[in-house]
Amino acid sequence: MMVAVFATMSLALICGWIGRRRLAIGLVVACLFLTIGLFLFEVYSPEYGFRMPWLQTQVGNEPSTIRAIRS
Amino acid sequence: MTGTYESSTQRLLALLNYTYLLLVMLVVAGILTAAMTLQYANGELPCPLCLLERVALLGVCFGIMLNFRNAFSYQNTGFSLVFAIILLIVSVRQSLLDIYPRPGHEYIGSAIFGIHMPVWSIIIALTLLTAYAIKLAVLGGDEYLRAAAIEEFPMIRSLATILSLYVIALCVINLVSVVLQCGLGECHTFGYQLLQQ
Repeated sequence: MMVAVFATMSLALICGWIGRRRLAIGLVVACLFLTIGLFLFEVYSPEYGFRMPWLQTQVGNEPSTIRAIRS
Repeated sequence: MTGTYESSTQRLLALLNYTYLLLVMLVVAGILTAAMTLQYANGELPCPLCLLERVALLGVCFGIMLNFRNAFSYQNTGFSLVFAIILLIVSVRQSLLDIYPRPGHEYIGSAIFGIHMPVWSIIIALTLLTAYAIKLAVLGGDEYLRAAAIEEFPMIRSLATILSLYVIALCVINLVSVVLQCGLGECHTFGYQLLQQ
């Protein structure tokens, strides 16, 4: 798949250079969709899906000033 | 008199615009060259997301090259911006993947000025988007670009030709490198798959 991404980008650049604008744009759009597809494939984990459970957030100790405002 | 003044101002604006595009392309080509130097000189194989970041940078160059080779069009600028956004999305996700080091997930490659490539990619993408926003705000519309073609600036045209060919060469070298590294399957950073067989 990565080969297809680079092949379409190479062809798009070459077509753009030789003046085949429409073909170049078609190829670069194809490259764009391949890139998005490959990106989603690469970041998808069978275990986590698209989530990132190693990033955890939790409420820390509230500063006293905020606690005073709440009360 | 006013006509001459407007004409010279428009010519100056067109010159600034083409110089700006040339500089962006030069910087992106420099970044790609640095990444490839690290790959071939230090043996640091790019990960799949790193390769997608290279594609996004080449996409930015594609939009600029079309502006040089064909008449100016905001469609070309649009392609550059779309690929800059792709670069931002991929690099942010990659940084978040590697931000908490754990087995199989850590920043790969050497740090440059203490910053790893995915984080550099975020900085590069934000710089590109900011540069385009400032250019549009300062240089404004495209009337002067339609009036002044790049043929009026032979020096910039020559430099753009050399740089465009260089970017095409970089892309083709990357294609060959990807074929060697990944074959037709998934990409890994263990080595050049085809050379090991």
